[in-house]
Amino acid sequence: MGNRSAHLWFVAPAVILMLVILIAPIVIAGGLSFTDYSLGNDGARWVGTKNYEKIASHSTYTKMLRSTAIYVLTVVPVSVALGLGAALLINSLRFGRDLYKTIFFLPVMAALLAMAIVWEFALHPTIGMVNDTLAAGCGTFVQSVFDWGWLPFVNGAETWYGHACANNDFPLWLRDRDYAIWTICFIGIWQGFGFNMVLYLAGLTGIPRELLQAAEMDGARSAWERFRLVTWPMLGPTTVFVVTISSIRSFQVFDTVEALTFGGPSKTTYVMMYAIYEKAIKQNLMGMGASITIVFLVFVLFITLVQRYLVERKVHYA
Amino acid sequence: MIQAHHIGEGWKHLVLILGAIIVILPFYVMLSYSFKSPGEIDRNEGGFFGAQELMVDERCVVVGGSREDCSFLPVVFNYSKAFSEAPLLRYLFNGVVVTLSIFLIQVIVALPCAYALAKLRFKGREFVFGMVLFCLLIPVHAIALPLYIMLAKVGLTNSYAALIIPWTISVFGIFLMRQFFMTVPDDLIDAARMDGMSELSIVWKVMLPTAVPALLAFAIFSVVAHWNDYFWPRIVITGNRDLFTPPLGLREFKGDADGSFYGPMMATATIIVTPLIVAFMLAQRRFIEGITLSGMK
Repeated sequence: MGNRSAHLWFVAPAVILMLVILIAPIVIAGGLSFTDYSLGNDGARWVGTKNYEKIASHSTYTKMLRSTAIYVLTVVPVSVALGLGAALLINSLRFGRDLYKTIFFLPVMAALLAMAIVWEFALHPTIGMVNDTLAAGCGTFVQSVFDWGWLPFVNGAETWYGHACANNDFPLWLRDRDYAIWTICFIGIWQGFGFNMVLYLAGLTGIPRELLQAAEMDGARSAWERFRLVTWPMLGPTTVFVVTISSIRSFQVFDTVEALTFGGPSKTTYVMMYAIYEKAIKQNLMGMGASITIVFLVFVLFITLVQRYLVERKVHYA
Repeated sequence: MIQAHHIGEGWKHLVLILGAIIVILPFYVMLSYSFKSPGEIDRNEGGFFGAQELMVDERCVVVGGSREDCSFLPVVFNYSKAFSEAPLLRYLFNGVVVTLSIFLIQVIVALPCAYALAKLRFKGREFVFGMVLFCLLIPVHAIALPLYIMLAKVGLTNSYAALIIPWTISVFGIFLMRQFFMTVPDDLIDAARMDGMSELSIVWKVMLPTAVPALLAFAIFSVVAHWNDYFWPRIVITGNRDLFTPPLGLREFKGDADGSFYGPMMATATIIVTPLIVAFMLAQRRFIEGITLSGMK
């Protein structure tokens, strides 16, 4: 190959792969989403926007949008807040920083599928460690603390823990329609907040100490004031990034749902990626799956474009 | 450091330790159950390591083994079953082949492209770079369905190729390497050209060595993502156990498991999770750098 045409040889493989693997699928999904295509059938019928109308109206899909929304709107704020909280605490320690950092980062490294199965064990209604521990706390000082009966105007027997203790009736967690989605959220938060923590720790090292000292001299006496006036604004770019990446990751939740709940009970954990898998791959309703894919892509693109917009507006004050 | 004198150091440790206990809990459960006998798991006793009393494998007795031959320490039983009940070694081997192939192909595709985008002038360069930026917006998992249809059409599902092909192009890798190559001085490249090196050997002999730290971080990023990936293998590998990656193997194990197989299943989980955790412990800084690489966009 001549040096003059080197760039062609260098760029061509990447360009071809981008076109075939990343761009063509979007076009294909877009096209199929207006059909009732299924694998094995030669043709496909054009059904117009019927698939999209179903997503907007059919109860299965409104439940899908609902559980996805609950998951994203729970996991993102909580895991970002916990990540920030952990980072601030760890950053202000005199010793033990590396130890906590390592521990909180462990779930990020471990295969989520494996850890989901372990959580299922721990949350097993009868032999699981969580309910065993909760039951063991009944009748001891643990109950008197956590049934909140020591608060004024609270009847300990009527609170969640007091009630569960009295009737020995602890949740079935993943098999209970009132708890399943929250349990899946909890595993998502457990897995992801260490990642956010590490990003925030990196963000914190970028804040010059002189700035905090200057703020203190200018009258920001309390730690909260300094956080509000200096640290939080300086972390702006980190926060934009952390929120974006957490959102995109939570939209893609699949492993925990597929391994633990199959979208149930009563479709309360029927998130989008699982819906695509179930409709398209298991039931061979490719057209329907394609339209969920397009809706999914619109959400993700929207989030990323908002992020780009915020970054370009330079969300920081440095 | 900021507000150390306000909240006592002790309170912070208390909060962090409580958090750490919740974070570690499933790891503890996994390891502990992988040591214990089925009875101990059911009754939730035996502490962390279990009593390790000899247990009799009833299945082994049924197929004609004597009771002595069929007695094992629970820990030995669990880990040997993990390998004998399912071809776990095969799964691990598949995991290694797939993750390494993905990484190597990603580098072979991305590095020359990144070099061209950073250091060569040609018509359409801005266009190609724009395409890279656009593709950064697309999560591959999200377009799994059309990719699956394409692979099915050419008859490639249930193959190593199906596991690898969608990941051969890492636009993120291109972007990252391009940013890195921008910082390499032009003089270095000009000197290499004077020495008569071809552009191709400049990429591999001049640029690659300067990029080792970035490449290492990218390697960790890529390997962790694909060793742990479950969604994509679940979709393209249907039934053919010889092609299972470690997470698929574990999932299959869970599907088959009856009550007495919790121990071996936890042993399998431990075996799958351990390589990355150990590597992470040994090279923490590098791993955190690698995993949070996407933070540098």
